[in-house]
Amino acid sequence: MARPPVDLLQGTLDLLILRTLRSGPQHGWAISERIEQISQDVLQVNQGSLYPALHRLEHQGWIRAEWGVSELGRRARFYELTAAGRKQLQFETELWERTSAAIGRVLKFA
Amino acid sequence: MTLTDLRLRLRALVFRGRAERELLEELEFHREMQHRRLRATGLDDADATRRSRARFGSTALVADECRDARGIGWFETLFQDARYALRSFRRAPMFALTVVATISLGLGLNTAVFTIFNAYVLKPFAVRDPYSLYSFEYQSAGRFHRVTWNQYEELRRDNRIFTEMFAQRRQLITRIEGHTAFALLVTGNYFRMLGIDAAIGRTLEPSDTATPGASAVVVISHAVWQQHFGGDPRIVGRKILVQGHPCEVVGVAREGFVGLDFSPSHDIWLPITLQHQLEDGADLFAPNSPATVDVIGRLDPAVTTRTAEAALLVWAKAATRTLPEEDRATNVWLESRSSSIPLTPMVIFALSPIAAAFGLVLLIACANVANMMLARGMARQREIGIRLTLGAARRRLVRQLVTESVMLAVPAGLLGFVVSRLAIDASVRAMFATLPSEFTEFVRVAPLPPDTRVLAFMVIVAVLTGVAFGLAPALQTTRSNIVQMARGDFGSDYGPWRLRNALVVGQITASVALLITATVLVRSAQHVARIDPGLRTRDVVTIDARDEARPRLAAALQASPIVSLIASASTIPLDATAPEVGATVSPGGDLVRIRYRYVSSSYFDLFDLPVLSGRTFTPDEARAGAPVAIVSASAAARLWPGASPVGQTLHLVPDRRIAATARIRRFETVQVVGVSRDYAADLGNSGPMTAAIHFPADVNAPGSGLIVRVIGEPEAARRALTITLDAAAPGAVQQIHKLQEFVAGRLYPFRAAYAVAAAVGLLALLLTITGVYGVVSYLVTQRAKEISIRFALGADVGKIVTLVVRHSLRLAWLGLCAGTLIALGGARIFGWRVMMLKAFDPFSYVAGILVVVVACVVASCVPAFRASKIDPMQMLRAD
Repeated sequence: MARPPVDLLQGTLDLLILRTLRSGPQHGWAISERIEQISQDVLQVNQGSLYPALHRLEHQGWIRAEWGVSELGRRARFYELTAAGRKQLQFETELWERTSAAIGRVLKFA
Repeated sequence: MTLTDLRLRLRALVFRGRAERELLEELEFHREMQHRRLRATGLDDADATRRSRARFGSTALVADECRDARGIGWFETLFQDARYALRSFRRAPMFALTVVATISLGLGLNTAVFTIFNAYVLKPFAVRDPYSLYSFEYQSAGRFHRVTWNQYEELRRDNRIFTEMFAQRRQLITRIEGHTAFALLVTGNYFRMLGIDAAIGRTLEPSDTATPGASAVVVISHAVWQQHFGGDPRIVGRKILVQGHPCEVVGVAREGFVGLDFSPSHDIWLPITLQHQLEDGADLFAPNSPATVDVIGRLDPAVTTRTAEAALLVWAKAATRTLPEEDRATNVWLESRSSSIPLTPMVIFALSPIAAAFGLVLLIACANVANMMLARGMARQREIGIRLTLGAARRRLVRQLVTESVMLAVPAGLLGFVVSRLAIDASVRAMFATLPSEFTEFVRVAPLPPDTRVLAFMVIVAVLTGVAFGLAPALQTTRSNIVQMARGDFGSDYGPWRLRNALVVGQITASVALLITATVLVRSAQHVARIDPGLRTRDVVTIDARDEARPRLAAALQASPIVSLIASASTIPLDATAPEVGATVSPGGDLVRIRYRYVSSSYFDLFDLPVLSGRTFTPDEARAGAPVAIVSASAAARLWPGASPVGQTLHLVPDRRIAATARIRRFETVQVVGVSRDYAADLGNSGPMTAAIHFPADVNAPGSGLIVRVIGEPEAARRALTITLDAAAPGAVQQIHKLQEFVAGRLYPFRAAYAVAAAVGLLALLLTITGVYGVVSYLVTQRAKEISIRFALGADVGKIVTLVVRHSLRLAWLGLCAGTLIALGGARIFGWRVMMLKAFDPFSYVAGILVVVVACVVASCVPAFRASKIDPMQMLRAD
């Protein structure tokens, strides 16, 4: 690793979790693995924030948790997007895109 | 909060154990997966475990954050705090008990007072739209006037202020079926306007008051029906005697309805058109009759009270324009009739000393508990310091301490409620038990159930006290300096001394003021009790009866074997205060205001009042009401100092506002024919008023009370006379009492006030003792190090005890001065209103102060001796 991993911005973790879950139910470990893998280890998910975030999202009704069996045959808690979660994901994605585009423009032209 | 959120929260709360297990299992799964991946990179098992643990961080911390995210942290914390508080109460049960007892007493007494205040002032009558009901009077030359019947009729026809209105006479005290009853004469629309229907039969109707004297009907209250008629449904149609006049009972008013008054409430209602049949004096319906009525109207919702007053003033000015200048209306007075006592600034002013006294008790209780909490907080400074140093958030600690006080306030509130019910019950019982027996029929107490207002008051005050006694100490004790504590110095140098000293000084002030007041009242009661009326009271019975039946009653009394003497007086001594008249020995000379009575010639004999010089009235003088007078010895001494008054002429100057037809205006001069011994019939502000003038009157003179001397046991005689008189003139007797009862009656207000003040004062004293104890204990704990150094340097026990006691006396000194000043101030503001009150009695002041000083010394002795037992070596080693 040439550079140290980036700490996630407040609130962006929620977006990443929701986006990761769009492809189907996942357990916590798989979510963190996937985020790190896709971001090529630039984004490191701190377990100390992941699980509280999952529980928070569940309380907001955006994801649903259910006990299932992991690929290795062990009992694990799987999270799944709800309909409200999908809407939220769409909303947050748009928001993120607008914000990052705006920041990009500022960085470029200011 | 979404529905999902609520469901999950509930689940977390209900299945706490399961949610917990699942959370830990989930986190463990994550760590295991990490472990597995690390193993896959070639680490051995032990290394993988170590690194996965390191990477994951504290499981407990993550779990805690998850709980926070789930929102169960709040419950969790509360649960922990509650458990912690319970544990600490178990460790110090006396502390918890004292706090609960102190607060519940203060809260309970205040709730009791509020319940009474609520019943009489706040709670509206259970009638239709009570808040729109107003009564009205007009004012001229500083006096209030009610309106005549014609004025009422006129007002009812023309006004646009009241949508409807009824008239009532002043309440009449009478006897029905051998019991005292309060009768109200009203217009026929009374019940309809108030929306009161009948329990059985019917209520009064407008047709009942169509023509004067026509409809002799009566409606009785539900309570009277139950108590005097056993709830007999056949009461409807029965005839009962009211003021000697047979009236048919047409119905019983709805249960609970006792009129628009509680002091006292009404028992029976009759058509106002029976006024001349039921009352002595002027006929209300005669042309130009001086008799008046109370008017109560329902204000039009579109009219404000301001507009109404303005419009009524215009009307009143027009209605009185033909009268002499000083009788014309200058002002009108509109008063709400929604409750027994309207909430006006005057009422608030009158009730403020009571509210202040009881509020003070609650404040003392709070201050006390706050002090105890502070002292305890100080004793726990070490524990709290350690927790703060270990990283406990201050907010969290404050929350825990406040939870602790709320857990004390809630049981205190519940107990306070019980205390308030018991206090109300006990005081009502005590009042009826101590009232002179013949008075109990006259005293009515408003129903005092706890309603929503009372409960709201309790909850608000309980929460406020909980915060008041919990928050300040919590903030104080957690304000410690971490750096200092890290060095192991746990004695806080933030002495909130000013606050705490102020609390104790305030407590001492309040208890001194209350105790002085209580002592003043008890001494005044004793003083009044010692006053010899100077009259024969033992075997005297007084009778108040209708004028028309007077000859028949007098004849029956004359014939009765148990009556030895009969007399009459326009004002029965000891019952009511006689009117005053200005008197002078020469026209235009200095006026002396002296109380006067019209009495029969047997009056002096009956009361064992010797005529010292001159003579008593002759029968002819009495019959004719001749212009002669007998003055009392002290009246004689004031009017003719050093000279004999017999044969002298006395000039009478009645007040201008006395009606021209009044008896006192009949003669401008009278001749003094005798001097009687002094007697204390009337009590004034400074003592018995012994100056008196007596004018002659016939035993059968209208408007005077009958007085008889009986043979045998007075109560038995009173009962026998009641029967005799009822046979002679059925229903004509309005009241019949033993004179001895009035002697007890005039003492009663002092006794009651003294009992209340003494109870409040003692409670304040008790609280002060615990308060001083708390502060001194605290002082000892805080200065333990200093005290042990003093010991180590050779101080003896006596010196240490003196040190501690002196500190409490230093506080007491300020409180004593302030309390005495408050008592003096209160005596100045309120004392003169109370008859015979020796408000500046030095003995009371000294006694009140001494009691508090002794209490302070006693309260500080216990902690002082504890201080003297401090082992200096152990103490100095501790830090």
